[in-house]
Formats: sequence, C-alpha cells, structure tokens
Amino acid sequence: MSQPSVSAAPGETIAVNLQVNGTSHSLEVDPRRSLADVIREDVGLTGTHLGCEHGVCGACTVLADGEPSRACLMLAVQADGVEITTIEGLATDAGMHPVQQAMHDAMSFQCAFCSPGFLMSTVALLRDNPEPTEAEIREELSGNLCRCTGYQSIVDGVETAVQLMGGKSS
Amino acid sequence: MSSATTDRQSSGLGFVGQRVKRVEDERFLVGEGKFIADLNHEGMLHAAFARSPFAHAKINSIDVAAASRLPGVVKVFTGAELNAVTNPFIPFFTVGGLYTPLYSCMSDDRVRHIGDPVALVVAESRYIAEDALELIEVDYEDLEAIGSIDAALKPGRTQLWEKADGNVLGEFTDTFGDVDEAFNQADRVITKTFDCPRQSNQPMETRGIAVVVDPTTGHLDIHSTSQAPHFKKWAIAAMLVKDSTAASLAKFARNSERRSAFLAAAKDFVAANKEKMAQQDNSGMVSQLKKDPSTMLHQLRMGAGLLAADDYPTVMAADIGGAFGSKGPVAREDVAVAAAASELGRSVQWIEDRVENLLDGGQAREERFTMSVAVDNDGMLKGLRVDAVLDQGAYTGFPVAPALIALLWKVYFPGPYNLDAFEITSKIVTTNKGRVVPYRGPWANETWARERMLDLVAAELGLTPVEIRSRNVMREGVSMPDAFITGPTIDETMSVAKTFDRALEMIDFDQLKRDKADAEGRGHRLGLGIASYHEAAPGPPNFFSSVQPGTDLFVYEDGRAEIGTDGTIRMFTSQSPHGQSHQTTYKQVAADEFGVKMEDVEIVWGDTDRTQFSFLGTGGSRGGPMGGGVMRMTARELRQQVEKVAADMLEASVDDIDIIDGNIHVAGVPSRGISYADVAGKVAADRNITDEPAFMEAMKYEGVGNGGWSVATHVAWVDIDLETGEVEIPRYLVVEDCGPIINPGVVDGQVRGGVAQGIGAVFYERTHYDDNANLMSTTYMDYLVPTAMEIPNIEIEHMETLTEGENDARGTGEGGMIGAPAALTNAVSDALGVQVTEQYLPPYRLLELAGVIEPEK
Repeated sequence: MSQPSVSAAPGETIAVNLQVNGTSHSLEVDPRRSLADVIREDVGLTGTHLGCEHGVCGACTVLADGEPSRACLMLAVQADGVEITTIEGLATDAGMHPVQQAMHDAMSFQCAFCSPGFLMSTVALLRDNPEPTEAEIREELSGNLCRCTGYQSIVDGVETAVQLMGGKSS
Repeated sequence: MSSATTDRQSSGLGFVGQRVKRVEDERFLVGEGKFIADLNHEGMLHAAFARSPFAHAKINSIDVAAASRLPGVVKVFTGAELNAVTNPFIPFFTVGGLYTPLYSCMSDDRVRHIGDPVALVVAESRYIAEDALELIEVDYEDLEAIGSIDAALKPGRTQLWEKADGNVLGEFTDTFGDVDEAFNQADRVITKTFDCPRQSNQPMETRGIAVVVDPTTGHLDIHSTSQAPHFKKWAIAAMLVKDSTAASLAKFARNSERRSAFLAAAKDFVAANKEKMAQQDNSGMVSQLKKDPSTMLHQLRMGAGLLAADDYPTVMAADIGGAFGSKGPVAREDVAVAAAASELGRSVQWIEDRVENLLDGGQAREERFTMSVAVDNDGMLKGLRVDAVLDQGAYTGFPVAPALIALLWKVYFPGPYNLDAFEITSKIVTTNKGRVVPYRGPWANETWARERMLDLVAAELGLTPVEIRSRNVMREGVSMPDAFITGPTIDETMSVAKTFDRALEMIDFDQLKRDKADAEGRGHRLGLGIASYHEAAPGPPNFFSSVQPGTDLFVYEDGRAEIGTDGTIRMFTSQSPHGQSHQTTYKQVAADEFGVKMEDVEIVWGDTDRTQFSFLGTGGSRGGPMGGGVMRMTARELRQQVEKVAADMLEASVDDIDIIDGNIHVAGVPSRGISYADVAGKVAADRNITDEPAFMEAMKYEGVGNGGWSVATHVAWVDIDLETGEVEIPRYLVVEDCGPIINPGVVDGQVRGGVAQGIGAVFYERTHYDDNANLMSTTYMDYLVPTAMEIPNIEIEHMETLTEGENDARGTGEGGMIGAPAALTNAVSDALGVQVTEQYLPPYRLLELAGVIEPEK
C-alpha cells in the first residue's frame, strides 16, 4: 500500500487516482479526508457505511488490493493507485455475488447497516480459506459488529456461501 | 447448517407462516439502501455540536467569534441564540408526585452532563464544522457533579434542578391487595437489593437529521432516523412556534377554513374517545404545575401555535440502521438543527458520530430494586414489596419518559406468578449523565430482579429454581386468574407455564450434573439458569389503561390500503421499520389477503405526508400484531370491495368469486378470469377518475380479542473459567410463544438479536460513569459490543397458542432482551454457588464472586 509521498499546505489538495470497482477516478482531495468519505461523497458510492469512525465496528470495510481494510481509518491519499472493491462491486450483470446470494438465502441481516463490512470480510475470508470451520468463521468475522442478529444468521450465511461457491457443506 | 430455523408453515397455505426471504435484501445486499447519511441533498450544509467536557458546570461566557470567521463556516449559533427561537421540552408523560424539569434544545447558562450541547456550527462540510468547534471558547465554572444513585438520594448535595426537592424528581406508590395482611400471614419475609448499571442501545447506525428548506415557501422536509416520524413532526412544529399565544389565537380566529376543519376534527375525536378522555389521570399535571406553573404557559403557546400554523414540517424516515428504542424520542439535536435550518433558510444536516452516540445517543436501565418477598415455607408466594429507583440522567427523555418505565413495572412486576398482594414505590432521580431512552423492553429489569429473587428465595427455602417456579406459575385450568392483580385481563395466551414445562423437557438434568463435574475438573464452573416472562404485545384492551388511565388514547394503529387505477396495490403503514423486515412480512400478509404475489403489493412507510398519524411508530413489539393487523384488516375490507365489482363484471355472485395469483374468477372457472387492473380500470372509467385510487380503505385498528400476551422461558448454560474469568455459553435455549408466526426467519432473528443484547448487558457492556459523572466509555474500545466470538448459537423452540381472534400474531421484538439477563445471572449464581445481586458481570467481577481475587475497595 502506498504512503502519501507529497506534503500539502493547509487548504491544498492532492491529486489521487482511485480504482474503485474497476473504474478509475481522478480526484483532487483534501489530504486529511478519509477513504470512506471520498468513496461515499466524491465517487458517490454510499454502500460503504460509517458506524464508528474509529476502526472498531468494521461497517466501512472495503477490499484494498484484496485486503479487508477500514475505509474510515485510511486516508484517500493512501489509496492512490490501489484497487478498491466496495459492496457495489460484488454483483455482476448475471446477478448477486454468491456471498450476497447466500446472505439473502440465510436471512442473515436485519437493519443491514453493518452488511457491507460483513460481505467484504466474508469475500476475503472465503478467498483465503474456502472451507472454514464455524470457529474460523466466527474468529474471522469478529472484526465486524452487528447489533441486530446475534451473528448466527450471518455465520449461516457464510456456510451457505461455502456451498454455493462449491466448497463442502459444513 | 447450524441454524435452528425450521422451514415450518404455521398456518394457511399462502405466504404467511413461511420462511419467505427478505425483499429488503434486494437493496441492502447490493449497497443500495438509503440511510440518512446516503441521501446527498443538493446544497446541504453540515452541522456539528460543541459539547460540554464537564459533567456539571456554570457557563460564564461563550465566544464564537473566531469560529465564525473560519472560511467555510456559515453560522455559529450559541445555545442562547437557538433557545431564543425554540420552545422548551415539556413533559409528555406525568405521574402524580413527579416533577419533570423543563429544558431547551441547547444549554446556555449551565451544563448538566458530559456532552451537553452549548453551540452549533453550520458549515460547508463536516470537516470545517468540526474545525470550528476547536475555535469556540467557553468559560465553564465547575460544579459538584452527581454521579450515582446513592449521591442522588443523599440530601444536601448540589441540585441539578432548582425547583426539585434535592435530586429526587418524584416518588409514587401503587398498592394491589392487602399487602400488610400478606406479609403478616406469610411464614417468612426475604429481602434483597438488586443493582443494574447503565447500558446503551447502540444501533450500528448513529442518529441523524437532514432538514431540507424550501427556499420559496420555507417548508421543512425533515429526513430523520425516526422510529416515530409523526410524533417528531408535531413536536418539532410545536417547538418552532414563535408567535405568542394571543397572536396565534388571533390568527386562528381569522382563518375560518382552518377553524372549521379543526372544530370538526376535535368533535370527531371527542365523540370517539369520550370515555377514555374521562378516565385520563391528571394528577401528574397537577404535581407538575405545583412545581413549575410555566409548563402551562409553554403548553398553551405551542398548542395555539399549532392551531394557527398553515404549514407543518414533513418528516420522512428512509432506511434506518437499527434503533432498539433510541430513535423513538425527539432529541434536543433534532430541534436545534431544525431551528438552525429554519433561521438560515438553508438546508442543514447533522449526522451523529459514535462518540456523541455513546455520550447522549440513548442510555438505559441504571436501576435499583429492593425486593421483599412474603413466602410460606413450602415456597408459595404471598406478597411482594418493591422499592425501585431509576436514574434518568440529567434531561428527561421525550416523549417516553422514565416515569412510563416505572408505570410499566407497576403492571408487570409480579410476572406470571400468583400473588395475594403487591406494592411498589418508584423513585425517579436525576444525575449528571446522559438521557435515558426506551431500550428493547424498557421495563425489562422487573423480569431480571424478579427471576433472580425467585432463585434466591428458593435457595433460602431449600427448594430448587424449578420447584419454586412450578409451585407459583399461573397454569391454565389450575391456577390461572381472569386478570393480573395489577389489572390487565388474562386469557389463554398467558401460556408461560407451557413454555416452562417444555423447557424442562428439553433440559437433561443428569447430563447437567456430569457437565458440572467435568467443568470443575477443568478449573471451570458450570451453571444453569431459568427465567420466564410475559409481555403485553399488544396486550389485552385494558393493558394501557392499567398502566395509566387514558394512555390507551395513543396506542391504536392506523393503516390504509389502496388500489390504483392501474390495479397497483399499495399498503400504507405508520410503522417506521428499522430492521424488523416490515416490508417482507406486510407483503406476506397483504398478498395472502388479496390473493396475489408478494411483488404485486407495494408497502409505503416513513413519509408523514403519505401515512396516517401514529404516536408510537415502531415500538413496543407492535409491528406484527398491530401494524400487521391493520394491514390484514384493510386488505380484507378492500378485497370485498373488489369482489363486488368483479362479481358484476363476471355476472356472478360475490360468494362465488375466487382470487388466485391475481386472477379474479368464478370459482372453478379460472380460464375466464380478470385482473385487479381490469377491475380498477372499470371503476376508473365508470367514475371518470385518473389521479385518485380506484379503491381505498383506511382503518383505525385497536387489536382484537382479549389476549395478546407474548411469553417465553429462557434457559442459559454458562461455563466460567476460574483462571481468566472468561465466560462461555455452551447452550442457550428460548422456548417462546408469540402465537401464529408470520415469518419464522424474521421471528428467530428478533429473538436471537434480543438475547445477544442481553448477553452483552451481563458480560460486556457498560456505560461507565465515575463518581464525578465523567464518562469513561466513549469509544467502542471501552463500550464493548459483543462480537461473533461471544454470542453462541441460540436454540429456539416455538409454541403457538391459538385463539379465536382473526389476527392472532403476538409481538416478539423485545422478548429476547427481557429474558436473557435473568437467565444468565441465574446461571452464574448456580455456577459459582453465590447469589448474584448485580446485572453486570465482567471477568474481574466473576473472579471476585468466585473468591479467586479480592474485591476492589
């Protein structure tokens, strides 16, 4: 991940190139702005949510060069040239991503405010570990808070996704 | 799959009863939900509040000049400026013996808790607004702070409110049966005090409000994360009234159209509610006016202003990221931001951040109960006395005040057990803390204290927790009275005993013994806890009049169904969904009634211009029974209207009309059917209408039947590691009866989510103020919301007691949270062999209770 290589005086902006869901965005941003704010306000993709803005709740999780990252703790200028994937980048013209479909099938969410973070974390988890145990799922998702569900339906959703993506059923 | 969900079909052959997948997911799971922070209005300004760093202080001066000069800042309002253009919060719920201090949307001469708002910056971006906060200079003079119930009860301490008697705002007693007699006759009296510390609702989305000002008319479109948009509309309209009472009345007198409309509506209202109005208890207002006569002047001014106003704000709630009660109230920030936008004539939004939400986004349950139980040696309960204290924080919640929580204790405390007599005295105290709001079963600590006390009494008598409950629980056909000693009617839906018996069948007590021995071998302790409760969801018709006579005026549910000229079916609900899957379940209900597919029904909510008034909005576990009930009944009525027209068109008798998959036909002749569009088109052509619905039915729904209790028994197994104090929950069982289930997937989710919050409350979460009322838990590193590692799989056993009623569903939103703290603390007591009297049990406390480490202080 690149570090900001230039400094800016107060009020100055820095040019960044964000690759969001495969589309390139050339933007002038105030260097103190968070990646989450720039994705939501400048790129206009509001599916990435801000729950705590101090890196605990995980609702803002995006994939940055494939790695689950807190978009509230990352500056937009740090994402210059980084491939960002948000919840809007999961579905294709053919329909929902298997993780989205599985979470739908399992009735995983209620208010769903936390769902973008869980979906992105799950996509990364199943890429690295296509057949996780329940204990592994719970540990991997413990960086995301949900207040509605008690998590069981989300764990079910991950297990359903394993099946949809061709892994074994648990 | 580890899910305990079964794809069961509870009733009928349609969608109701099926585990239908959520239609909400179609937008949420692809990132297309529209939450308050997503709305992106053109030209919106951003607000940030300057908040007090002191728990209790006088404001000597405030200087906003430097902040105002910062480029990008549009305006900095001091507290005094916004208070000058708004009316105060006046009490909505009152009780005889209670005084409720009035307060304004901002603090201008004194702050009363950490986070108390003293200035509002409006700027071009939130970054700039927050920069400006740093430039505001406030000269505070520190005052002694009241940081605990003990301090609040102590006479002679610094008072938060000048007109109060110390820091006790009120005390009121209710007595049912001959309490002295019960206590004199019983073999013994056992007394114990139970403490619950402060918790917080903590929805994943914080609060927010976006006020869009129409530049030509000045009309306010208020987008809000509100559980009750209609109440917010009226409250904000009232608090923004500027004219004097006399000026408003003169304006009203001149406006003949408005005058006659109001008089007609008032006449209808009085005619419909004469009896309930006559029963209203005014003793609370009498106590209030004795302390603060200005309450009446403010009330008159706001009332007259509402009469005279030609325009009210429109309040809209789009997708809401959870609330658990915290987004029901009208908050000070709502009024401040609306006033700021109105004064500037420009659109302003405020999105709360998490620190603010932990400071004052809603806190709950800091309560103490001293319980005395009169009981015979065989375990038969005779009488109960409760002394309850509730710490409401500095500013009284609005409109649902802590007094209502105490009134609910009054009705609920005896629980599903028979008693001869009951007396409760409740005190409301004020401290330098954040605002108490309703939190998922706001009264739930009666269940915690009672169920904990039952185990304690059992232990003292040499009985088991099972034995004491078995001997006292109300049992249909054996010991089921017609009504609770506290008033509400009882019918067959009070099926607690059935859930209790089923739970016992599902516990292997021999295995429990082996598991306990095994745990001891590992240096752990294992225990089991049981708790039962009942909830009025919606309750019998006399439930709310038992809480407080006259309050049932506010608890009906309005709804409307329409069919457009193109055949589109639209259902309008006054509920304000925030995670409960209303859209899915109401489509299920309406689709079955109309005989159409779910996608043929549109659900409309959240816009006060399109839906009917509702005081409560979504709350009180009423979305299924009341909200769903009015959907069912309006749809049923409308279908009959459609059938009449269709019968004419098909030249058949109404009785022979059948509707399957939207095909309206004579039974047995589906090939010659017509559609809703055909029928609506015919009506439109006959009546020559284009822009109004072909069919419309509106209804005020008050529930049906005499029942409506939602009940459950919870059983928790806990395993405590005596080395670390870490807790595992190897099994958690809920046996619940909420009647016929509309969607088992939704109900299971509600139950589990509630239990998860109960687990959080007992083992992880605490809104922690020190003795000087400094808030120690202002981030998620300090306020610990449990993760997937802490919440176990929760096993749910459904029982469905059916009645004769046509709409028999009972509510289930709050129950999980009501039962869990009791079952868990009972399990901890069983595991450690000590009688726990506090609700918050983090690892260090468990180790203290186990005698592994020395208690603090």
